Amino acid sequence: MFEARLSGENEVALTGRFDASQVERARVVFDALNKTTRVNFKDLEYISSAGLGVLIATQKRLTDSGAKLTLSNLTGHVKDIFYYAGFDKIFEIE
Amino acid sequence: MQCNVEKRFPRKIAALASIFAFTENFFAEHKIGTAHAFTMNFVIEELFTNMVKYNPENGREISLELEVAAGGLVVRLTDYDVEPFDMTRTPPVDTTLPLEDRRVGGLGIHLVKSMVDRVDYEHVNGESRVTVFKSLEKEDV
Repeated sequence: MFEARLSGENEVALTGRFDASQVERARVVFDALNKTTRVNFKDLEYISSAGLGVLIATQKRLTDSGAKLTLSNLTGHVKDIFYYAGFDKIFEIE
Repeated sequence: MQCNVEKRFPRKIAALASIFAFTENFFAEHKIGTAHAFTMNFVIEELFTNMVKYNPENGREISLELEVAAGGLVVRLTDYDVEPFDMTRTPPVDTTLPLEDRRVGGLGIHLVKSMVDRVDYEHVNGESRVTVFKSLEKEDV
């Protein structure tokens, strides 16, 4: 079960498995962001390139208006995927 | 030991849940570690969703085979009644580019190729078949 929810001021918490079937659900949350936001990966078990696509599209949109996404609590295999994808160069990882 | 299972899945992204249920059962049965299981789920999703995207109107189901053989995991996806599309020949993605030069898509197959030991493609009699091999000797992504 995947969930993306606002979990405090300027934070989005991701839970479960972020695969291609969850993109529309995630977009509802990410497309509504308009300022710098931390994405909390503490409870995310899995992400595919579809999930990475949502993040990079949001980062491009926010950067155009002077804001950005930052990524926190990346661990394990999810963290490995981010480094494989070179996302450490385009996101601030806490 | 050689073990092989095969199942066919409907050509829709929503089939991913049943695909993962099928793979997780296989990984548990064969005591596959979490790193290899994560990698192979990632690989299967990328290959399957590519087949769905490039032939959305095709009514045939897509075959997924899983096998433990020769010290590794073998994953094979077969698509039927399709034109050749060799996803192993897609150009590499430059993951060092700055944000403004990065594309939103195109990353999946590039990551698949970097995460496994071998990817083979063949197109025979209208069937596209992608076979991936991942060694089980080292427990990493």
